[in-house]
Amino acid sequence: MNSLYTYLFLAALLFSLGIFGVFQRRSLIGMLIAIELMLNGASINFMAFNRFLAPDPIVGQIYTLFIMGIAAAEAAIALSIIVAVFRRLRSINIERAQELRG
Amino acid sequence: MTNLIDPLHMKNMLWLIPCLPLAGAVINGLLGKRLPVRLVHFVGCASVFLAFLISVAGFFTLLGIEEPHQRFLIQPLYQWILTVWHQGSFSLQVAFRLDPLSITLCLVVTGVGFLIHLYSVGYMAGDESQARYFAYLNLFTFSMLLLVLADNLLLMFVGWEGVGLCSYLLIGFWFTDLEKAQAGMKAFIVNRVGDFGFFVGLMLLFWTLFEGSNGTITGLGFQQLRESIPLLNSASPILGVGLATWIGLLFFVGATGKSAQIPLYIWLPDAMAGPTPVSAFIHAATMVTAGVYMIVRLNFLYVIAPAAMAVVAVVGGVTAFYAATIALTQNDIKRVLAYSTISQLGYMFLAVGVAAFSTGIFHLVTHAFFKALLFLGAGSVIHAVHSNDMLEMGGLKKYMPHTYLTFMAAYLAISGIPPFSGFVSKDEILWATFNSHLPVAGLGKALWALGLLTAGLTAFYMTRLVALTFMGGFRGGLEKEKHLHESPSVMTFPLMALAVLSVVGGVIGLPAVTHLPNLLHDFLGPVLSSHGASGHQAHAYWLELLLMLISIGVATTGIYLGWLFYVKRPELPGKVAARFAKMYQVLEQKYYVDEIYQALFVRPLLKLVALSGRFDLNTIDGAVNLSSRVTAKFSFLIGWEDLKIVDGAVNGLAEIFKRWGAALRHLQTGKIQHYLYSVVLGIFGLCVFMFLF
Amino acid sequence: MIPENFIQSNLQGISFIGPELILTLAILLILLVGVLLPYWRHRILFTILAVAGLAGSVLPLWKLPQPAPDLTYLSNLFVWDWLTFLSKPFFAVVGVLTILLTQVTGEIDNSEYSECTILVLAVTMGMMLLVASTDLLMIYLAFETMGILSYLLVGIRARDERSGEAALKYVLYGAFTSGTMLFGFSLLFGLAGSTDLLAISQKVAFASQHPQDRLLLIVAILFFLAGLLFKTASFPFHFWCPDVYEGAPTPITAFLSVGPKAAGFVLFIRLFYPLFATGHDATIYEAVSGLDWPSILALVSAITMTLGNLAAIHQNNLKRLLAYSSIAHAGYLLMGIVSLSDLGLRSVVFYLVVYLFMNVGAFAVVAMVASAGGSEEIDSYRGLGARAPYVCVAMAIFLFSLIGLPPFAGFVGKVYLFAAVIYKKIYWLAVVAALNTVISLYYYLRIVKAMFLEKPTETIQIQVPLSSRVLLLALLVPTLGLGIYWQPLARVVSGMF
Repeated sequence: MNSLYTYLFLAALLFSLGIFGVFQRRSLIGMLIAIELMLNGASINFMAFNRFLAPDPIVGQIYTLFIMGIAAAEAAIALSIIVAVFRRLRSINIERAQELRG
Repeated sequence: MTNLIDPLHMKNMLWLIPCLPLAGAVINGLLGKRLPVRLVHFVGCASVFLAFLISVAGFFTLLGIEEPHQRFLIQPLYQWILTVWHQGSFSLQVAFRLDPLSITLCLVVTGVGFLIHLYSVGYMAGDESQARYFAYLNLFTFSMLLLVLADNLLLMFVGWEGVGLCSYLLIGFWFTDLEKAQAGMKAFIVNRVGDFGFFVGLMLLFWTLFEGSNGTITGLGFQQLRESIPLLNSASPILGVGLATWIGLLFFVGATGKSAQIPLYIWLPDAMAGPTPVSAFIHAATMVTAGVYMIVRLNFLYVIAPAAMAVVAVVGGVTAFYAATIALTQNDIKRVLAYSTISQLGYMFLAVGVAAFSTGIFHLVTHAFFKALLFLGAGSVIHAVHSNDMLEMGGLKKYMPHTYLTFMAAYLAISGIPPFSGFVSKDEILWATFNSHLPVAGLGKALWALGLLTAGLTAFYMTRLVALTFMGGFRGGLEKEKHLHESPSVMTFPLMALAVLSVVGGVIGLPAVTHLPNLLHDFLGPVLSSHGASGHQAHAYWLELLLMLISIGVATTGIYLGWLFYVKRPELPGKVAARFAKMYQVLEQKYYVDEIYQALFVRPLLKLVALSGRFDLNTIDGAVNLSSRVTAKFSFLIGWEDLKIVDGAVNGLAEIFKRWGAALRHLQTGKIQHYLYSVVLGIFGLCVFMFLF
Repeated sequence: MIPENFIQSNLQGISFIGPELILTLAILLILLVGVLLPYWRHRILFTILAVAGLAGSVLPLWKLPQPAPDLTYLSNLFVWDWLTFLSKPFFAVVGVLTILLTQVTGEIDNSEYSECTILVLAVTMGMMLLVASTDLLMIYLAFETMGILSYLLVGIRARDERSGEAALKYVLYGAFTSGTMLFGFSLLFGLAGSTDLLAISQKVAFASQHPQDRLLLIVAILFFLAGLLFKTASFPFHFWCPDVYEGAPTPITAFLSVGPKAAGFVLFIRLFYPLFATGHDATIYEAVSGLDWPSILALVSAITMTLGNLAAIHQNNLKRLLAYSSIAHAGYLLMGIVSLSDLGLRSVVFYLVVYLFMNVGAFAVVAMVASAGGSEEIDSYRGLGARAPYVCVAMAIFLFSLIGLPPFAGFVGKVYLFAAVIYKKIYWLAVVAALNTVISLYYYLRIVKAMFLEKPTETIQIQVPLSSRVLLLALLVPTLGLGIYWQPLARVVSGMF
């Protein structure tokens, strides 16, 4: 159980679920959460590689910390944009936002 | 010969030749609206005239240099590009090169250019935006001189693109006319297709030489290219075709675009939408000959690529014939001249294709004279009639004597009647074609026959043009007839100057038969490769004379047929009658017996003619008529094909691009999730691609 | 126990990020002024502060030692080479032009203006950091600094529906692709056990020999590409571009089309050449054996330019049209990357500089016409040549330069790009690109035709203020000047590789 591949599998699963979620969800919040899942998949990769392979003991962990920070910032900004859009459209359904096309 | 001007001084003045018109363009372009019209005219004309004077000075400076191979002046202006990397460097200067070839073109561009500027003063009188017109015209002159004087290929390309741009601006000069705007656009786009052939050829040439010389070739200067061109033979071929041939063909693609050859000629007839002096300057005398100039400039490349040369010759010969047949049926006077230009350009390519480079340039020069004259004459006519349609003209001889006389000089020149300039140069081309050594046996003779046939057709359609325009009676209605007038002297003076040149222009390149030196050929000699000698074989004296007589015969036949058709045309019995009456009048003044003739023969004959109509012509002219009809039908078909198929292909291509563009728009659905699918699909697709290849 | 020279060297390293520090100071200052003067009605103060900050950020560059390829600082996070040295002023110029364009056009309200300048400065800072980074962690951080803040910039005109939609699409697309790229980073980290590019590159050359690792590398490369091609707006990751460019305020569109796009290309050079190519000292690189990414990019380049040009033909909104044009230009620029040679890299950098002026110029005209009473639709350009000749002539010059006509700078840039691919004997790509420039004529000339050759459909008088004219002149001079005398720029660029 406690092997590198377990974690890699988990990471790949999270990443794929994230992608699937982005496609599947129609609500903006849902899509945002799915994107966070993708980032978490990458984070687990970093941690796992760090634990099992990397000679430098902390780089992967630091990387994960930064990913968390970035993800938080990204979520904040995305939410602020979603709120702004919600004010106009009175909806967080992504299908409402397709004015620009062609 | 003593040197009137120190070559060193001349060298330092070279930049003035192109930059004077540029200065004129800048002044007229920026301040034109605020300047009085007269000053605009003065700036426009004077800048070109000064450039002409300097060119003349340059010409004599070159002549003053004793050793022909030293006859070149190069003025480097500044370092343009210097790129250094580990394997070598690439350096180019902005430099002007004055040698026999460029000075010949310079004189034509500035000389004919000045006359056309002068003519424009009269032609554009009263137009609101003359300053802009003269600015564009000067800008064009600058670009053309840049093209001609450039010392390296890239600078030449800058001029090459510049003339295209100015041509676009000038064709679409009259803003409000949508059709004109479309014509300009078409010219521009078609030219760009050609230009990229040029450009890719240029790159290919440089890199091949660069690699072949292990990095010692560092620029695109003509001298350097000329010395290193044999390296191309050692480069490995692409798709089994030698690099020299590839490069030669790519450059020729550029030439077909700029010089309106098959298949890229379609823009030129439409380009007639521009003001007539523009057609004379750009679409007859200068820009369209840039392709010929380029090939002659790169003659050292073409002589080692015989296959490319053969293609040039065939395309030139076929274009010459093809365009001439189309010209037979056009009723728009400028269109006839446009097709005629294409046809004459075909002659020039035929000449350079059979390695008679100096002959090609010779025809370029004489053509610049007589075709500019034809256009300006046509412009003078249009100015008076306010129509391009020849069916609304006729009888203008009476109203516009100066125009008519000068026009006749050009007409005889283009029809190939000795001793007019056009005859001399065209005959030299035919002679060189006859004597050529093309890679395919018999091709030279076939092209000669085609060229000869074209000469006949040329004489025919030009006679038709002259007959419909100047002969007979005026068909444009009484109201218009009242306003018919000769153009002002500012317009007729350039006509006369060009007429003189059209008549005597031939002396610069007399054929070997005359036992007089071929001045132009000797002058251009040092620039051309040794292969480039046109057929000057002493032993072929009688043959040359015979061929010359044949071509005179063909030209005369063409003129006769044209006269028969369009002066004696049965559908216009009144016209024929008038002709006969006139003949009678002429006769009457000399012999009194003619009254009897009239009573006994002419009057009954006239009645008969009027009654029998078409029958008369059919019986009298029999086979001649039939063959001509066939030709006319054929050319009508070609004309139709020209419009429908070739245009259709271009428009169709545009349509296809538009359709694709429209289809692509549907991909952009506006739905973010579709976009995100595309990310995943894209990664997947690239992954598949990476594993497959 | 931290060794003393570690602190010493880090203190020294700080001086290398002087530009970024000065930008941070300027951001703080603008924030402070914005708080202290909440009812400040004039933009000019913020503009002056921002421009001063950007100008000041360039000053410390000349105090620093001579750049060298192996001069790294701050624990190998950054490198101080010529590319870094020259990219920083480039992005500063991008920032200055954006700020000035925002100042002269009224598209962004006064209430949002200070935030806008702050965001522009911050994105500029992100780009400056990005081009200097040689560490996967730093690259990711800088990439996201640039990315996240530009999402906000797009949506800064929150009351406008299209601006909001554009921002929404941008943030979702951006987060998705950068997440994908991050996953690629994690795979590469697993392969090399380090985030340092140099260390990774040594492992990559070794790993590409093993089939299993090769698979991993290919996936990593493709995930990288998702991020990079997204930023450069190339096929198949370009879909966000037209929508975002159309919806964003025009000065911001101009900013995005040159800033992050250029950063993306510099990142290409930073990432792909050291990692997946060998022969760094020679002029010609080769892709690491078994990883044929150049031919993939060649394909992407060809499709990108064709697609961009074809789709642009039908556009009536000028911003959207220029968005497709910028997609097409990404395709042209990729030619330089594909050619795997110093010449190619130089031509990319050269073209980016040229592209900065001509593209910002074209967008500037769009912004000026829209703010002077016209609209972004091509209809309001009909017959504009007679009413606003200066602006229209400027527009024509920018468009001719974008086409690549001499004697404008765009021509020279294209010469270099074409030279690079023909040098590498990728003839088909040169031919495709040549045909593409012909196709591109259709839509560029459509604008020129509308301006000069058509009758006006509306009679709105266009008044362009003096400040706009001066800004246009500042963009025209390099567009023309670099076409006639580009030797200095070529020399600078030659020093880089």
